[in-house]
Amino acid sequence: MIPAGARIAAARSKDGGDVTEYRFVENLPDLIHPEEYAKHPEGKLVRLRISVTPQGVEVLGDAFRPEVLEKILSSLQPEQIEQMLCG
Amino acid sequence: METATYATSVLHQDAVERKPFYHYRPGTIAVSLAAPGCSFRCDYCVNFRISQFGRDGAAVWTAKEVDPWAVVERARKLNGCVALSYTEPSLAIELTHDLARVGRAVGVEVIWKTNGFLTPAAVESAAQALAAVNIDVKTVNRRAHRRLTGGDVRPVLDAIEGFRDRDVWVEVSTPMIPGLFDAREIAEAIAEIDPAIPWHLLRYTPAYRMNQLAPTAPQEIADAVAVGRAVGLKYVYVERALGAEGRSTCCPRCRGLLIERGVWSTRENRLDSGRCPYCGCEIEGRW
Repeated sequence: MIPAGARIAAARSKDGGDVTEYRFVENLPDLIHPEEYAKHPEGKLVRLRISVTPQGVEVLGDAFRPEVLEKILSSLQPEQIEQMLCG
Repeated sequence: METATYATSVLHQDAVERKPFYHYRPGTIAVSLAAPGCSFRCDYCVNFRISQFGRDGAAVWTAKEVDPWAVVERARKLNGCVALSYTEPSLAIELTHDLARVGRAVGVEVIWKTNGFLTPAAVESAAQALAAVNIDVKTVNRRAHRRLTGGDVRPVLDAIEGFRDRDVWVEVSTPMIPGLFDAREIAEAIAEIDPAIPWHLLRYTPAYRMNQLAPTAPQEIADAVAVGRAVGLKYVYVERALGAEGRSTCCPRCRGLLIERGVWSTRENRLDSGRCPYCGCEIEGRW
């Protein structure tokens, strides 16, 4: 179950291939916490964390609206987008 | 020959609380499987990339055949259970039965997170294999349910009763979909079956094709909890939005704090052989 909704996706930099692969992962860290829900009644908050890792640049995102986060991450043309599932 | 859904796209280890189950073996690890597909077509589905296989081109078949012995062995080593989750598990009834048959020999149980859209015969069959089910009740308005999911809600409510009558532990989840969610109607429908069925309120967030509406406000969630309790439900839960209090189990008689939970874990379980340690009240569940 992911009642925070949009939750998190992570993208790694593209190093070839044309299609972004979606991977379903067990866990990704939260960047938005329940205390913030009331401050963003329209659910427009998006939070991103960009890191350089040995595998490449990693962008971790959290948002109330999954499609917004997905658009942002997809625009980076990542090799892979990881996401958590609800349930 | 076997069904395509004798397969899984994931092999995750989750806390059972995440499904969510709050009254079934708190703290248990669930080895979680999901084959693509669902008998519903909900526009708000966060899992559409796997659940809407066959309807939406964005959902692709990524599943591989399951070895029930390997999955059960993995769960056994964790002292856990096997969960069919994320997509609709009733599409994988053969796999469910095989997992249960293998698991029974070594004490590993099988649980479902399901939309509950089952015939009585399917409930009868699945109940022989399952220890617990969490069933989604999105609305009890038949027309609205059909518009959202493509199916009638009556079989869902009958499935809750059917599983409960067959001694399968039942919990219910409700996504608070704007314009559809009516706390009183749903709480009354659950209470009519059994007020001890735990009710999980899931905050709506805009997703998939239902992405124009605002997320559920925390106050609205708190109000729905109050309605559920006023209607007579003994256990009403909210995973995140109301903090630790929303996840805690309190004794319905003396209100003593019995189980404290983190977001996806059990922090402390004070139950004494399934009873409140303060007043002795029996707390329904599989402890």
